[in-house]
Amino acid sequence: MIRSVIRAIWECRIKANFEDFKEIKKKLEFCEKLNIKNLILEPINNLKEIPFDLKNKIERETDIKVFFRINLKPINIHNFKEMIKKYNNFPDLLSIETPNKEIQILAAKDSRIDIISYSDPNIIKTLTPGVISLIKQNKSFIEFSLASIMINNKAYQSKNFRNLYRFLQLAMKLKVQYIISGNFDELYDFRNPRALISICYSLLGIPLVEAKKVFKVSPLTLLNRVQKRLNKKIIESGVKLIKDNER
Amino acid sequence: MVKKERQRYILFKIIKEKEIIFTQQEILKSIWNSIWRYFGMKEAINVGLWLLELNFEEKYGIVRCSHTTKEKIISALSLIKEINRKRIILSPIKTSGTISKIQKIKNLIIY
Repeated sequence: MIRSVIRAIWECRIKANFEDFKEIKKKLEFCEKLNIKNLILEPINNLKEIPFDLKNKIERETDIKVFFRINLKPINIHNFKEMIKKYNNFPDLLSIETPNKEIQILAAKDSRIDIISYSDPNIIKTLTPGVISLIKQNKSFIEFSLASIMINNKAYQSKNFRNLYRFLQLAMKLKVQYIISGNFDELYDFRNPRALISICYSLLGIPLVEAKKVFKVSPLTLLNRVQKRLNKKIIESGVKLIKDNER
Repeated sequence: MVKKERQRYILFKIIKEKEIIFTQQEILKSIWNSIWRYFGMKEAINVGLWLLELNFEEKYGIVRCSHTTKEKIISALSLIKEINRKRIILSPIKTSGTISKIQKIKNLIIY
């Protein structure tokens, strides 16, 4: 499945209420209108795991290649440790979104966490070179979101552009792996990822080649990371069991 | 030596609520407003924007611009959220260097 989407552009985060199938269908239809080919869907209603039947039902409903992710929002370290216990060998993408720096550091060290999300304009300010370094060591991803630039208020919009610009440049400078998602809430805020590439290039100072890589290659690398996690023969990054029956 | 300015044709899709009607003037004005808002006068003088086609029935439009400002026009188009407080999306579909090619692509995609 991953091979077939190798050259396509990705929308990495669309939130939907998984208890309301009509809403999911509506959002998927709108994505089809926008020529979105691949997307990652996220439940908003505190689902711990997405049921297999529901995944199949969603996949049958649309031509878009749909993948899934769960986003955790822990309040404190204890809460985070309790939450993460349930996600050993998790088949979907697992992300974490918190303004608490201590949790961010713990999450960056944890191999079960795939994405540390800085989608919120208030959370993005808490990104530090220290966390980036840990994320880089663990080969996980940072997530930025363009949802904050779609507001009408010019003052807030320019502030959000400035913050995104600063932290994207920092991520590029420190050569960490990152993804950029739309993460739009309203249907009429949704945009084709190709348009988002242009915005990244022309307004956020990301070189065009780099921007295309972020929207095409990075999500694939992310999904490969999940597949590797599920593969029991891969012990850790770079260590693979070749013959299982030999001791 | 001055580099020759080439042209790019951008095909875009119009997504709006069914009953809402826009005029060509409104669309063009909103594209210029978006260019002004996000790129300012410095870029606005370089864009060479020309609205070639706008079809509300088939929900598509074609604009022409300079090859150097293609990405900026795509950004400006996609950052338009509403016109006269009515929600709209101008979603770029394809870019081409010749009008004949963009017409072919349009026929393939739209019809």
